Amino acid sequence: MPKVTIDGIAVEVPAGTNLIEAARLAGVNIPFFCYHPYLSVVGQCRICMVEVEGAPRLAIACATPVTDGMVVRSETSPRVKEARDAVMEFLLANHPLDCPVCDQAGECLLQDHSFSEGRDTTHMVETRRTFPGFERRLIGPHVIQNQNRCIHCSRCIRFTQEISETAALTYKSRGNHAYIDTFDGQPFTDPFSACAADVCPVGALTVREFRFRKRAWKLRSTPSVCPGCSIGCNLWIDHHERTVYRFTPRENPAINATWLCDYGRFLADSLNEAHYLHPLHRVDGQLRQVSWGEAIRALALDLAAARTLRVVAAGTLSNETLFLARELFVRHLKGELVVAVHEGEPRRMKNGKGEWLRSRDAHPNSEGARRLGLELVGGERLARFLFGAADLTIILDPTAHPYLATEEALQLLRVSPTLVLVRTDHPTAEVASWLLPVASLAADEGTFTSSGGHVQRFAPAVAPAGEARPAWQILHLLARGLGVTTLDLPSPAAVFAALAAKDKPFAGLAWDDLVGKERSSYREQQHVG
Amino acid sequence: MEPILLRARGVPNSRSLSTYLAAGGYEGLKKALGMDPDAVTKEVLDSELRGRGGAGFPTGRKWTFVPRDHPGPKYLICNADESEPGTFKDREIIEYDPHLVLEGIAIAAYAIRASTAYIYIRGEFVRWAAILEQAIAEARAHGILGRHVMGSDYHLDVWVHRGAGAYICGEETALIESLEGKRGFPRLKPPFPAVVGVFGKPTVVNNVETLACVPSILTRGAAWFASIGRPRNTGPKLYCVSGHVRRPGVYELPMGVTFREIIEEHCGGIRDGHRLKAFFPGGSSAPVMTPDQIDVKADFDACAEAGSMLGSGGVIVLDDTVDMVEAAANLAHFYAHESCGQCTPCREGSDWAQDILDRILAGHGRPEDPQTLLRICTYASQGMTICPLGDAFALPISSIVKKFPAEFERHIAAATPRPPKKLPVLPWAGPRPGFDGQ
Amino acid sequence: MSTAPIHAVPAEQLATVTFDATMEERIAELLTHYPTKRAALLPVLWLCQQRYGWIAPGVIEAVAARLGESPAFVQGVVTFYTMFYTSPPARYVLQVCETLSCALCGGKELVEHLKTKLGIGFGERTPDGTFQLVGVQCLGACGSAPVVQINDDYYENLTIEKLDAVLDELAKGKEA
Repeated sequence: MPKVTIDGIAVEVPAGTNLIEAARLAGVNIPFFCYHPYLSVVGQCRICMVEVEGAPRLAIACATPVTDGMVVRSETSPRVKEARDAVMEFLLANHPLDCPVCDQAGECLLQDHSFSEGRDTTHMVETRRTFPGFERRLIGPHVIQNQNRCIHCSRCIRFTQEISETAALTYKSRGNHAYIDTFDGQPFTDPFSACAADVCPVGALTVREFRFRKRAWKLRSTPSVCPGCSIGCNLWIDHHERTVYRFTPRENPAINATWLCDYGRFLADSLNEAHYLHPLHRVDGQLRQVSWGEAIRALALDLAAARTLRVVAAGTLSNETLFLARELFVRHLKGELVVAVHEGEPRRMKNGKGEWLRSRDAHPNSEGARRLGLELVGGERLARFLFGAADLTIILDPTAHPYLATEEALQLLRVSPTLVLVRTDHPTAEVASWLLPVASLAADEGTFTSSGGHVQRFAPAVAPAGEARPAWQILHLLARGLGVTTLDLPSPAAVFAALAAKDKPFAGLAWDDLVGKERSSYREQQHVG
Repeated sequence: MEPILLRARGVPNSRSLSTYLAAGGYEGLKKALGMDPDAVTKEVLDSELRGRGGAGFPTGRKWTFVPRDHPGPKYLICNADESEPGTFKDREIIEYDPHLVLEGIAIAAYAIRASTAYIYIRGEFVRWAAILEQAIAEARAHGILGRHVMGSDYHLDVWVHRGAGAYICGEETALIESLEGKRGFPRLKPPFPAVVGVFGKPTVVNNVETLACVPSILTRGAAWFASIGRPRNTGPKLYCVSGHVRRPGVYELPMGVTFREIIEEHCGGIRDGHRLKAFFPGGSSAPVMTPDQIDVKADFDACAEAGSMLGSGGVIVLDDTVDMVEAAANLAHFYAHESCGQCTPCREGSDWAQDILDRILAGHGRPEDPQTLLRICTYASQGMTICPLGDAFALPISSIVKKFPAEFERHIAAATPRPPKKLPVLPWAGPRPGFDGQ
Repeated sequence: MSTAPIHAVPAEQLATVTFDATMEERIAELLTHYPTKRAALLPVLWLCQQRYGWIAPGVIEAVAARLGESPAFVQGVVTFYTMFYTSPPARYVLQVCETLSCALCGGKELVEHLKTKLGIGFGERTPDGTFQLVGVQCLGACGSAPVVQINDDYYENLTIEKLDAVLDELAKGKEA
């Protein structure tokens, strides 16, 4: 492999690597705006200039592939510093001083590089060029444009041309009056529209749902997996003080590169919904709040006594929850369990190789359920499953299938005692005997298996609301209440270890290896958002 | 020197094929078809013909960059975008001798083994595009273009492709992008067009005048061509002279006559009893030259030694009535208008320079303005940009700032501060502690 | 010299555009010149401008559909080049060269005269829709400065008197 020396640090990199990536491997951060590892190279911003020994002129690192023996100077070259300073001055010449009111502050590449350049003056005293009418323009359902801030890097255009393939964005006009727009000002309805705001290195394109809600540096980022479909895109849950503010993409070249589709991304706010905060028991038609202790004791008695037990699980539940459900309800208590699957809208995602991954499965863990040997059922079979009386019926996630909200389903559930795990308002609450508050994905920990077979961990970002508990933990409490010592697994890690030991499809997988990177500072990855 | 490129000027019915053939036209092509294509390239190489579009790159050498064993197709593009200020020679050739251009195209295409040639002509040249279309139709009808060129095994299609108003499309990679149906954004080099050009295939882009030189190189030989001018600066050259001379126009002269000869002898000197103040030797994208440089030879090497460039040979002559700051502002407007906007230094720098110069002319110049202009020019050239348009605005403006400092000083000394912008006064409805006596 | 006026099709008639048989034939012929459909974009746009007088959004959609591009892409191309009209032009578009040689050799005076005579500035049109004034960059005829391009035709070596004569003829509806 070619060896290249950058600022005195030698690294060996695969042939064809450009100098920005090579420098990253050497621990040297070359600044860039228009470069993006998953988009074509255009060499427009001119900030990534480096000195290559033997070449008379500076070269742009993004467009220079390494050659064996190359010696490059980035931070140790005064010429490079001069050139980058000049480019920064050019960029800041017309860029408005919007930082105090701009959402991008704190995760803005222009701020980052201006700060490291370290100059606080400019020679520019002319009137800045502006685009009247384009300062806070909602160009699509999710994206707000401020053209004054645009640094013309063309990332957003290249994204819609090369990744989402809608080619919905374009430059219009040319020179310093060029601006970004859609055809004839029509709405930007790309299914990945918010990614254009992600790739925008400045605040020219920002996400409407996040506008003015939280300063980026206040956010903690916790690695998780999208619950929107079975593709399993990796994401960060960005949160602060128990509130989830947004999802941002987490890089995974095998699945979602650095992208999130609008549908999955904007499920973020739904994780804040918490309608049920305490265990509830319906007595004489009235819901009465009870303690967890009381609820578990009573349910343990009901479970032990039940001769017929039926459980509706779903692919929205983690592997750990499904494993515990199978072990407890089927193996130990001899009940029946089905996993509801729901075919939703067709979803797709482009991976790092430019290939489309597709899914019509609305749930993130149907594949996990399948690999645990569980029976997957659709609405019709679900109806037959729920027909007639049973000593206890358990619905582990009523929101997973629309059938469970229908009048017919409610009639069936009314017939005999039903336990439902709930978080948001749902019709089954009207007929349930027991309601246990369950935590959202953001307060849960576990693994999902994507349709592509990736077992991926998600970490808890916030504490559960009220007295809610993660589903796996509720099952663990029930198992303990029933005295099933083999299922006394006090953490998702412990559950996973048991799962991996028992089930062949999970053999050899280790919990620690499935971890996503927790972000240390609020933005370490330059190219995401 | 007998005219070669403008031989047909003044000849009745010069555009028609029969007139061209009667005068010995297409003999060069016939000769080339009987040679090995590489031998044709060698002939052009030996003639030391250099590109007449502005860059002055040796034409034969450019042709050798096309990979021989590339399966093709390969393309020859005739650059008729002619938008460099001060340049108006290509349309002169097309006006009188379109077949000369076609013959040059055909020989060049044959030499690089191209099967398709495009003439990219600026959109404003409606008449000249039509002239070329007419000539191509005539040539096709007579078997000179199309299948079996002049009865040989060589096939060549030539298409006229009109631009739509963009100076940047004269830059060869921007031209290629425009030809492919996109915005005229110059490409990063490498790769060079000879290897990866239009539609990703090997492409050579040559200027109209350059191609018009080729037929006579074939018919009369490289040695004859090289005998005009001096080594590495050979052949006849069309000098376009505009500005404050008595007789502006296109003059075909042996490369290397002095600017004095061009301006004083051929163009009758400066108009109306005025005196020469400055001149651009080769289009406006070159450092301005001053009267003490009038005896410099108007060829590539001499102009480069004198700190400027021959470029396209568009000589713009400025007399003592010209305010050089105004001239600089005029050019800054041109480049800011034509900048494609891709890369930071040119996009921001050209606009910024235009603003500074406009402000100086409006009477609000500041003492640091010349320095700021020079700083802008330094960092918009010398490899900071994707294409030479950065250099194209930086060279004339910085040279005017450096060579005519007194004019800037005069404007700045008489300047007044720019009146402050009238900002809207926002109504304030509430009490203001500390202001209202509270 | 006879300069043909532009006949701009009104916007309402270009909301949805379907190419007639002649247009289709000419587009098909143009497509044979290039290995990609996209490369025919500029020639097709010229065809449309000749046919409709300007490039309306409806025209862009039709061209985009025909060549397999997104309308945004086509509009990006249209707005890059200065010669494509994105709103209905006047019958005669007076494109006055503003660049150095023309400016120095009477161009500035010509511009001032035009603005006064027609009562409009750059980018504006006379109320009767006869003339539109546009400042353009170097037209490549510097030796015969000052130069004005009216629609497709070059008018060179102009003086105020000559230009006045041309405009008066055009205004009368006759071709000069």
